[in-house]
Amino acid sequence: MPPSTEQREPLLQIQNLYVEYLTPRGAVRAAENVSFKLYPNEVFGLAGESGCGKTTVANAITRLLKPPAYISGGQILFRGQNILEMDEEQLRHFRWDQLSIVFQSAMNALNPVLTIGTQIIDAMQAHQSIAYDAARGHAKHLLRTVGIDTQRVDSYPHQLSGGMRQRAVIAIALALNPAIIIMDEPTTALDVVVQKQILQEIKDLREQFGFSILFITHDLSLLVEISDRIGIMYAGKFVESGPSRGIFHDPKHPYTNRLMNSFPTVHGPRRELLGIPGAPPDLIEPPPGCRFHPRCELALTGECDRVIPPLLRIDSERDVACHLVQPEEIAS
Amino acid sequence: MSQKQQPVLEARGLSKHFATGGAFSGGTVKAVQGASFQLYRGHVLALVGESGSGKSTIVRMLARLHEPTTGDIFFDGEDVLAQRGSRALLRYRSKVQMVFQDPFGSLNPVHRASHAVQRPLKIYGKARGKKQLRTKLIELFELVSLTPAAEFIEKYPHQLSGGQRQRIAIARALAAEPEVILADEPISMLDVSIRLGILNLMAQLRDEQNIAFLYVTHDIASARYFADEILVMYAGFIVEQARAETLISDPKHPYTQMLLAAVPDPSRGLRTEDVEVEGEIPDLTSLGRGCPFAPRCRHVSESCHRAMPAPTRLEGGRWVRCTLYEDGAPQTASA
Repeated sequence: MPPSTEQREPLLQIQNLYVEYLTPRGAVRAAENVSFKLYPNEVFGLAGESGCGKTTVANAITRLLKPPAYISGGQILFRGQNILEMDEEQLRHFRWDQLSIVFQSAMNALNPVLTIGTQIIDAMQAHQSIAYDAARGHAKHLLRTVGIDTQRVDSYPHQLSGGMRQRAVIAIALALNPAIIIMDEPTTALDVVVQKQILQEIKDLREQFGFSILFITHDLSLLVEISDRIGIMYAGKFVESGPSRGIFHDPKHPYTNRLMNSFPTVHGPRRELLGIPGAPPDLIEPPPGCRFHPRCELALTGECDRVIPPLLRIDSERDVACHLVQPEEIAS
Repeated sequence: MSQKQQPVLEARGLSKHFATGGAFSGGTVKAVQGASFQLYRGHVLALVGESGSGKSTIVRMLARLHEPTTGDIFFDGEDVLAQRGSRALLRYRSKVQMVFQDPFGSLNPVHRASHAVQRPLKIYGKARGKKQLRTKLIELFELVSLTPAAEFIEKYPHQLSGGQRQRIAIARALAAEPEVILADEPISMLDVSIRLGILNLMAQLRDEQNIAFLYVTHDIASARYFADEILVMYAGFIVEQARAETLISDPKHPYTQMLLAAVPDPSRGLRTEDVEVEGEIPDLTSLGRGCPFAPRCRHVSESCHRAMPAPTRLEGGRWVRCTLYEDGAPQTASA
């Protein structure tokens, strides 16, 4: 069940985040005024097409942005503490102990010359005073937890299939029992059957360990399936956020609406689908006004192409940035 | 019904084995085993399978990039593999064109868009002289909705989005005036919002130009959307063929059932399915004689390990390779 979010303290709070990349052609705003909250034991899904800024947001949260990218504004609060003001030592504790990441390509995330076991043990010993034998025992336990035979503790990454490598990466992410796991396209490189297995695994693990997930993917059907709430990004900005079921059944922003009608499904009757004309904009010279207006069939001349629509709370749970969507009377 | 006409392209018992390793330690990868199917004009046949199932190998055999180990290919009833020589190959390739997965890798970055489309026009003798060449170019760019065409032909690949590049790849294939287009994962590297545009463009070409498509994909949902019929592949074997809607609503092969159960369903949320999704695809170097899906199959019986069953014809022009449907067997696998 989606948790009732309003009463609870957020675990992670992103407030008015701005990230820019310096390029020879000028500064590119990869994330602009991004705000959202991640609550305990919640899956928040971040969706959007390539280049919309979703990975940039993830890298900002983990402080993994490297020049020419820099955070030009906003704050990221973890249990009230601003991650952006942490020094190296605090950051070292924050990463792994509180937050870990699962990247898209498990092949590249694992060190090819170390065994799976060694990589889990390394992560634990770097952060805890734990004896080797105990760490190895825990590593085996973790592998069993993610559905890998414990004998694989001495296997090298190349000896594992793609699905098993991704499981191993998840085992490493779990090593220090973090409060948050960021998953950036964790199943994109996998086949659909393996993807299903991994998603079920993630769901079971979350019930067992109680961590929160920031789940990033371009695959909306997958995201709606796994997330409690989602945020839709377009050209660096949030265009809509709210409970995933609500957004799926009743998308408010024209971009979300068109996106929901862009992927074929095997469920339900076959429908004619349209896709979205045009292509996402170049962020060096984003369109004025609403960034989606050149591709939007509903755009109002004089308004959508001039005035930037603010992200407004339109009902008790939904935020939408569109001139055509007006806030309802919120029942008090 | 198209079944009455002659197939434009037909594969009969196509197999491809690759040798692996050294001269003494080597094994054999049986990438494709006994694939048979027909393509008809104005018809889309989808080939669906996971990575390593052999779908790209089939495309490469049909494109004459790999020589089949055994089996035959017929184009308009003529035995393609019996025709030798570069002239025959050129003629065949003008009729059977390919669109590749990666629109970033399939266009030469130092040449303008016009270059990619001009080459087949020249090679296959479809246009003579500068004026005719340009007219043809403009026509082709307009056909794939790259308008204003006069502007697009001057652009370099880096100035174009993935979807636009894939449109150029399609225009390049169309330049040869083909009767068949082999499209190998043409949308899987594109953004979600522009995938539909490419699928709809190909559907339009099927309808207006009467082109036959072999649409290769790992995404069974897009196959349902675009294809008239679907072939499902597993570990080198085509295990099932049916009309797209029939396959989706009533999958027969246990693998097809598992594949469909694995597709995310946003309308109801993640939950444990009636059909368990388990196991991994087998190692193609050490396949036994039986059905490759047997180790993962919940309906497995002893006979499954003995031999891969031959196709069993079922009602509605569909067939399946599974012991559950062989004559006399109880049909219990319906989902």
